[in-house]
Amino acid sequence: MTDSSLDATDPRTLPGFFAALADGTLLGGVCADCEQVLLPPRPACYACGSRAVTVEPQSREGRIFSYTAVHTPPPAFAADAPYTVAVVELADGGRLLGRVDADYADVSIGDSVELTVREPTAPEREAALDYETDWPVHVFEQQ
Amino acid sequence: MESGYVHMPEPVIASVGASPLGHTDLPGRDLFSLALAEAFDELPAPADLVEAMYVGNQSESYEHQIMYGTLLAEWAGLRHVPAERVEGCAAAGALALRHAVKDVRNGEHEAVLACGVEKMTAAGTSGATDALSAAFDRAIEQRSGVTAPSQYALLAQRYLHETDATERDLAEIAVKNHANAANNPRAQFPEEIDVATVLESDPVAPPLKLFDCAPVGDGAAAVLVTTPDLAADLDRPQVRVAGSGASANSIAVAERDMTEIAGARVAAERAYEEAGIDAGAVDIVEVHDAFTVCEALLAEAAGFAPAGTGYQSYLPPAERATGWTDVQLSPSGGLKARGHPIGATGLLQALEAYEQLTGTAGDRTITDAETALLLNEGGVADAVTVSHVLTTAEAR
Repeated sequence: MTDSSLDATDPRTLPGFFAALADGTLLGGVCADCEQVLLPPRPACYACGSRAVTVEPQSREGRIFSYTAVHTPPPAFAADAPYTVAVVELADGGRLLGRVDADYADVSIGDSVELTVREPTAPEREAALDYETDWPVHVFEQQ
Repeated sequence: MESGYVHMPEPVIASVGASPLGHTDLPGRDLFSLALAEAFDELPAPADLVEAMYVGNQSESYEHQIMYGTLLAEWAGLRHVPAERVEGCAAAGALALRHAVKDVRNGEHEAVLACGVEKMTAAGTSGATDALSAAFDRAIEQRSGVTAPSQYALLAQRYLHETDATERDLAEIAVKNHANAANNPRAQFPEEIDVATVLESDPVAPPLKLFDCAPVGDGAAAVLVTTPDLAADLDRPQVRVAGSGASANSIAVAERDMTEIAGARVAAERAYEEAGIDAGAVDIVEVHDAFTVCEALLAEAAGFAPAGTGYQSYLPPAERATGWTDVQLSPSGGLKARGHPIGATGLLQALEAYEQLTGTAGDRTITDAETALLLNEGGVADAVTVSHVLTTAEAR
């Protein structure tokens, strides 16, 4: 697989990444040289500059690394506020930001969570660009 | 001292100006006209001096206006000069300054205007929230509904977890910056506040509250960068631009070390290296305190404080932890209280340093200051950082 063959089915592109995610598979780039995990996958490793990046399924389980609650949302998410967001450290080493399906007061650093995937809501589709309309939304659920 | 630039002119700042800051009834181009009028108050017309122009500007969503290079060159009466908008979210202003510095340093121009403008109040709070969210990764971060305060809250939550800092310490940083702004006639909020005001203010993104956040506001700033000879011919007080550094870091917060702000460290170290100094030589720093936690993180990244102690920036130097330098942080009042009109902010930092180092800072003058560091960030924290070392003309 070379960069010049990238098309929308390639998981190193966003359409390819989200197509796999819609099927429940979280794909990450993994650097063959330094083992850095890149979420979502991309052609080059930001840690070391290598272009030897493979694409591998990632564990959907992880722990809360940091978290907060959004009280002043962008217009598209106004109806949801306040909502909890977190940076989650996944079991395979990558980190990913996402919503958490829990109240802020019930979340702590270190909590176990699992990534789940749902279809976008009507307001989310409204706010989406044309090519994003069917991309799934990931949400972390507490274990 | 060996230097790669011994045959190059060393750029200086020869003049500065700014518009009023805050909620104004003027569009961006008119705010720029006010900043320009102050900067050229005792100078020939811009058309008789300026050879190129850079405009820091965050977003076209406030005024539905791009082509800000062309527009402001026209409003300045600069016919057929190279002029362009520079974009790097809140670092746009210092990126414009850096381009001007490089043009003078490499001998291409003798006088370049670096300016910045933002009309943030045009779209209300939700419009500003939406415009600023464009600085985040679209695929994951924006679609998860994060905002600027919540991104920084993720950093703050982690910082409070890893260090001895408390929400009260972060509040004290805001109190200190408001106290500094009380002596700054340019400040958007020149009022002193107390810790309770911060701690009891509305939650925005816990642990950050309203008074941890820099305000939305309008503003413009203009900085004239010239050769030393031209500044002398113009009989202007000069401040040397002794070093400039810039560094991008990954756009997504999740992929960074969230408490060791590596991109800012690299940008600061590059500026120190060009200037031939280390952090201990810096008397004043204007840091990018878009949120209180930024000041703590940047104090560590720039080498002023040992890891985990940057939150002590509000304390007098003698009361800070061992290993801290004596640097004074954000005498202007910082973004928190001086104001943060995004594209103009990096140039407002340069303006403060110019006034401090030329003895025109009035009641907020830091006595005997010779060296200033500017740290301007764009995106969340160090997604991009631009750093400049400014010194007095005598500090050579």
